Amino acid sequence: MSLFAQAVISGLMAGAVYALLAVGLIITLRTSRILNLAYGETYAIAGLAVSLLTKAGAPLWLAIVVALLLAVVFSVGLDRLFLQPRSHWPIPMLILVTLGVAFVSRGVLLVLAGIDPLSFPRLISGKPLRWLGGALPPQGLLLIVVGVATAIAATAFMAHTRTGRQLRACAANADAAQLLGVDVGRARAIAFAIAGLLGGVAAVLLVPLTSVDFQAGLAMTLRGFIAAALAGMVPARGVPAGLCLGLFESFVSTYVDALAQDPIVFVVLIGAALWQSRAIRHGGGLRA
Amino acid sequence: MSPNLVRPVLIGLVAAACAASPYFGLPAWTPALATVVALLAISLMGLNLIFGNTGMLAFGQAAFVALPGYLAGMLHLHLRLPTWGAIVLALLLTVIVANGVGRIFVRLPGIFFAVGTLGFAFVVEGLARAFPSVTGGASGLVLDAGTTLSGDAWYAIALLTLVLALASYAALVRHGYARTLRVVHHDELAAAVAGIDVARVKVRVFTLGCAYSALGGVLLAFYVGVVVPENAGVSRSLEMVGMVMLGGPGRLVGPLLGAGLANWLFAVAGFAKQYEILVYGVAFLGTVLFAREGLAGLLEAAWRRLRPAAAAAPDAPPAADAQHAAAAPAPRGVRLRVDAVAKRFGGVQAISNASFEVADGEVFALVGPNGAGKTTLFNIISGLEAPSGGRIFVAGRDVTGADVHERAASVGRSFQVARLVPEMTAAENVMVRLDQIAPATPEAAKRAAAHALLADFDLGELAHARAGLLSAGQRKLVDIVRATLGPPALLLLDEPAVGLTEAELDKLAALLRRLKLQRSAIVIVEHNMDFLRSVAGSGVVLHGGKVIAAGSVDAMLGDEAVRGAYLGAIA
Repeated sequence: MSLFAQAVISGLMAGAVYALLAVGLIITLRTSRILNLAYGETYAIAGLAVSLLTKAGAPLWLAIVVALLLAVVFSVGLDRLFLQPRSHWPIPMLILVTLGVAFVSRGVLLVLAGIDPLSFPRLISGKPLRWLGGALPPQGLLLIVVGVATAIAATAFMAHTRTGRQLRACAANADAAQLLGVDVGRARAIAFAIAGLLGGVAAVLLVPLTSVDFQAGLAMTLRGFIAAALAGMVPARGVPAGLCLGLFESFVSTYVDALAQDPIVFVVLIGAALWQSRAIRHGGGLRA
Repeated sequence: MSPNLVRPVLIGLVAAACAASPYFGLPAWTPALATVVALLAISLMGLNLIFGNTGMLAFGQAAFVALPGYLAGMLHLHLRLPTWGAIVLALLLTVIVANGVGRIFVRLPGIFFAVGTLGFAFVVEGLARAFPSVTGGASGLVLDAGTTLSGDAWYAIALLTLVLALASYAALVRHGYARTLRVVHHDELAAAVAGIDVARVKVRVFTLGCAYSALGGVLLAFYVGVVVPENAGVSRSLEMVGMVMLGGPGRLVGPLLGAGLANWLFAVAGFAKQYEILVYGVAFLGTVLFAREGLAGLLEAAWRRLRPAAAAAPDAPPAADAQHAAAAPAPRGVRLRVDAVAKRFGGVQAISNASFEVADGEVFALVGPNGAGKTTLFNIISGLEAPSGGRIFVAGRDVTGADVHERAASVGRSFQVARLVPEMTAAENVMVRLDQIAPATPEAAKRAAAHALLADFDLGELAHARAGLLSAGQRKLVDIVRATLGPPALLLLDEPAVGLTEAELDKLAALLRRLKLQRSAIVIVEHNMDFLRSVAGSGVVLHGGKVIAAGSVDAMLGDEAVRGAYLGAIA
């Protein structure tokens, strides 16, 4: 088995997930101006929901539909119940609110699903595909193709439809957008629904290949955020940034050391953050 | 007993009762649990300083609690250092790491700081798991040096350290430093304009806070006898934020209350481990949403209701020379020289080739229609924006590349909309500038100077009122009063007359005349032409980023081109 081909395959699989998470995170950030630290919970909720439902005997397709619905409801509910009513609060307090929701969510998931990692059957099974000496399970191919396609579809929606432009207007200036006839509440609901869906899709595609536990949410938020930071918080760059991050991680763990992966990726985050903030003079985007 | 003694005696009694309480036989409240709470509270005080007082979203603080335990254990185990040497060296190393991390992180915008610290906890937890031969892996690193001490001895050590930590925190976070942290928390830009080196303050606070966290953490590790990867991780960090929120962010006893209540509840209710995260999470979210002042805030409110007398405003301090902290009058000469300054925003030339000089004792008007570049020019002079070309000299010094806070002693600035901290009183908001330009002034003198200045504007009665309760015009006057403290060589007033009453305008004019006598130079952006005529001698007119007229105010305002620029289509 060729090391290089395997590294590329693993990298693309992880990258597709990061692309989904990065695009979802950016869409909510660009619509609400809030960094949603509870975003990764949509991944954990959907992954654990499918696992528990299939274990209880539900058909896989039904479990997936319910799980995606749960992820969307969680995401929209977070905005409707907790964030929108407090839109006059300072942004750091709202970030704390999302952190609190993430905290409660992982508590609930621990009680419902227990401490052990869970998984569920693959959507498509079959012999791994061979490619230049690397092995790619059919589920992995599904992950890469569907993941990247979904992420691209979401960015295209943001860039090229009237609704997408309205979403971006909300972030730039919610009051002005409201005056121009944009229904800000509806726009935000759409953005958080799309984000929740992307997080759920990521779980449905990836979890059968690995597993998911109650604390997966924040780790996923963190990875999505690193990809989003690399993308400069621009939706259209989310997909390439996610794929690059996945490939980079995969090459580090293949050629350097699997244990070096976290620290090195973390250094990448710091570098990306410093690059993004090079024009900012003291610790925040401030204007007189 | 004299009333001055009531408070310290009362506090002493309550503290003694708290210290002795584990021996009262309360359910689950044993000396062992009290030791854990006391040591944890010390760690939380560090997070409180960083997050509660300064508002930095440090979401990975557990890393700095567990790190010294790991380092001390490894130094002792692998390098055979004696226990005490290992502890001291581990604390030192942790503080050095914290300082390095702080230096990188505080330059990042808010959300990157939050995610960066979160990531740091991921990394420390991951490293602790990844190298079992050095760190003990998932089962943790055993530290058995503490087992020779009795439980009561440990409790005494924990209490003593806690008292020292509380005393040092109380001595540090008061007066000027407490105000500095509050302004940084609330408004970094206003802080910088008042002369605060925001990045430096934040690095210091982060380093110091991590030192508290490390001290509590290393003692806790030796008391418990083991440090495991989860101690450094994200869940633990979030629990710490939750406990600080629960106790009352920014309060002296908040961390102790938060740690005490949370841990006692878990002990007495005997929750299974699996409910712990959920309970912390609900407590955390509930406090964020409904009780942002935490337990300490609730207790304080109850105390105020019991003792209404204590809530009354303290007596006005003795009248003092308003310019107590003032430097001797500066030598004569040019105070501000704007030399061929230009500014581009992308494709827009906001200012092109603007040049003028303002001498001491001059009130200089900067007029022009909206979008002429007046505020941009103000931002460049005060250092909020860098010019694309040209130079700025203040009192003969080239300040073109200087940071905002470095110019603050010689440049005072007010804003179109006042930037005050609503939770601080009017006097405290004024004192913020004094804390920076005359830090050695005694607290009472600062207070007296702020009061005297506010009294000049008939705001003496409101000096003790929270700035958030003042009217827009009153807030604006407080902002202007603050900018004139010093007095600075150069004063920049951005539309000072907007929102003021006739009487307040007269007061403002009188203040400007006094500053002229003290040889400040004053630059005013203003649309109220009557007010400008009454105070300003000369000035320039900006239009489309260019200086289109200069000279005496009367001549300028009569100029055809100026009228055209202002009245545009009508003319």
